[in-house]
Amino acid sequence: MSRTERALDRVLRFLDAFANRFWGWRWNPLYQSGTIAAAMLLVLLISGVYLLLFYRVSDPSASVAALAADPWLGSWIRSLHRYATDIFVLAAVVHAVRMFAQSRSWGRRSLAWVSGLVLLGVGIASGWTGFVMAWDSFGRRLALDGIRLFDALPIFSEPLSRIFAGDPPVPSAFFFVTTFLHIALPLTMGAGLWIHVSRVARPVLLPPRRMLWTLVGALLLLSIVLPAALGDPADAFSLPTSTPASLIFAWWLPLSERVAAPVTWFVFAIVALGGLLVPRLTRRPREGALAPSVVDPALCTGCNQCPQDCPWEAITMVPRTDDRPTLVALVDPAKCVSCGICAASCAPMGVGPPGRTGRNQLAAVRSTILPAITAGAETPIVAVLCSRAPARHVDALRMRGAYIHTVSCAGNLHTSVIEIALRGGAPGVIVYGCPPRDCVGREGPKWLHERVYDDREAELQARVDRRRVRIATAAPGDLGGVLASFGAFASDLASLAQPSRVAVEEVELECETIPVAADGDVE
Amino acid sequence: MKTPSHPVRWLATAVATAVATAAALWLVARASAVALPWHASDATRIRLSWSARPERIETCRALTAEEIAKEPPHMRRRVECTGTFATYLLHVASDGRVIDERIVKGGGLRNDRPMYLLADYDLAAGERRIRVTFTRREKSDDDSAATAPRAMSIGADSGIFSGRAEREDEERARRRSAAVPPVLELDTLLTLTPGRVRLITFDAEARQLVVRQR
Repeated sequence: MSRTERALDRVLRFLDAFANRFWGWRWNPLYQSGTIAAAMLLVLLISGVYLLLFYRVSDPSASVAALAADPWLGSWIRSLHRYATDIFVLAAVVHAVRMFAQSRSWGRRSLAWVSGLVLLGVGIASGWTGFVMAWDSFGRRLALDGIRLFDALPIFSEPLSRIFAGDPPVPSAFFFVTTFLHIALPLTMGAGLWIHVSRVARPVLLPPRRMLWTLVGALLLLSIVLPAALGDPADAFSLPTSTPASLIFAWWLPLSERVAAPVTWFVFAIVALGGLLVPRLTRRPREGALAPSVVDPALCTGCNQCPQDCPWEAITMVPRTDDRPTLVALVDPAKCVSCGICAASCAPMGVGPPGRTGRNQLAAVRSTILPAITAGAETPIVAVLCSRAPARHVDALRMRGAYIHTVSCAGNLHTSVIEIALRGGAPGVIVYGCPPRDCVGREGPKWLHERVYDDREAELQARVDRRRVRIATAAPGDLGGVLASFGAFASDLASLAQPSRVAVEEVELECETIPVAADGDVE
Repeated sequence: MKTPSHPVRWLATAVATAVATAAALWLVARASAVALPWHASDATRIRLSWSARPERIETCRALTAEEIAKEPPHMRRRVECTGTFATYLLHVASDGRVIDERIVKGGGLRNDRPMYLLADYDLAAGERRIRVTFTRREKSDDDSAATAPRAMSIGADSGIFSGRAEREDEERARRRSAAVPPVLELDTLLTLTPGRVRLITFDAEARQLVVRQR
């Protein structure tokens, strides 16, 4: 992880912790930044269709002013449209920063990163056209500064800025083209969004329904209580001392109004190039913790579970080269992000990143966890945490007597580890996952829950007492919640009888190695 | 929102959540309507803006009947002109002080496109004597287009080619009249009001510089 990523991750965790205190991790909008951006696109589309019905390219200022003055629908729908634009940009920026800070911007995720940046750029350009369409003093200012940049390019024989000089009035054709762009650009964003999520399985495009409606309701309320500002009608013969500007769209004006257009272009180009090169600049060697999953064909039974669980569609089932009648899993190393989720989906433990397969995990349990928890007089509760769990949480749980076991992702934890820990004498196993929408493996907490409680392969065996297993969430800033869940679990365990310790060697695993003869035949 | 067990804590958390939500939305609303400074309160400005065709400085001669006959029928121009487009010197002065002086050429790489002018000058408010001159730099005796020979009609012009000699003459005359005059001058007293722009532009019909304001 680079220094910049670490620094941003720290800032992000601080903000996450702050937001978690108020909204809790389920409602933390920062975790839903990507889906909120997509939801705002929908809000913009719907509200935009209404506004378009009343917009006139022949008299843009007057038509928008009439909308803003309409207290019934026009005013608040226009405000909703405007606020949704701001939230779209904010959410998209937070989403990009989150992906960067969590090292999710390279390798398999490069396409999503680049297409996301393009989507953001197109969104900002579309917003720019929308502000210009309103043709108030801010719209004129944005138009002037934007067109000035284009005038610096050797494209037009005559500067477009002249159409804003005041003689003659700005032609309707300008607003027609602007309106066309304002409609066409968001349509291209639809295609961009498809590309953006094309490399992930089961993409989530919208926030949870309750959050979505709460957000839309809150924005509606805001639109009614504080309607979006509309400046004075644009006037080429006036020099306003200020304009009611959206900081989210006007951040570049102070720069562009003070320096020559080529300098502004240069800054934009550097920022854009830097952003687009992030996948190249942040990529790492595909080894160690980032090595792609591998399949042991001898163990693979062709059950087709790992392709279903893989959040990146990196696994396919292909015909075997030996005589066994099943298919065999094949990992595409270029698509694998080494999340390790496949390792926990495989009952025979035949797939996973090197060092993190189910068998590696079992070996670790036998060699490390069991000796450690059985060494003292009292066997501790085993707390399994994601390696991204806040250090404060880890320390606090250790202080309360938990034995800490860290995994790369909660979704990487094979359920056999839980079973062995319990059979080895642990009174209980509590697994802390990240907030579901903050999982770097995308679907770790979801699959973990289904494997423990809903019989998803590789399921926690029915013989395991579910009262001794708990799944909880460790969100930054929610130490209280982490400790409360641990306390409640410990309290529940106290009411249960002491667990009987079973010799680990006697633990009958669901799937052991399929014996293979020397000539490759299954015995 | 988290749901603490104690009702008082639940209420406190709910209130904090509501306040945080309201504060976040208020911040979005405020960020959406920041008064971004633009011009100084006492700013006044004159703006020069116009677009016009530069004069064509060319030498013309009537082609002989043999030369015309060598060309395909649709390319038989009667008068051939060669030359360049004029360039102009813009001179702007306020109360006798020169505030701009520049050469203006036609647009495009070969300067054969219409020339344009767009310039803003921030001046102090009050009454100002503004003098703008826009003068052709090339001497008038460089130009023989005005005395170009008239195109002569020849017998072969018939059908769609009939009357083309007259059309050639008309086209040259139209180009001459569409071009900016060799000298444009505006010398006027303007009262500049804070926060307002006075526009000086070229009135193509009156063929002179004029002041516009709203």
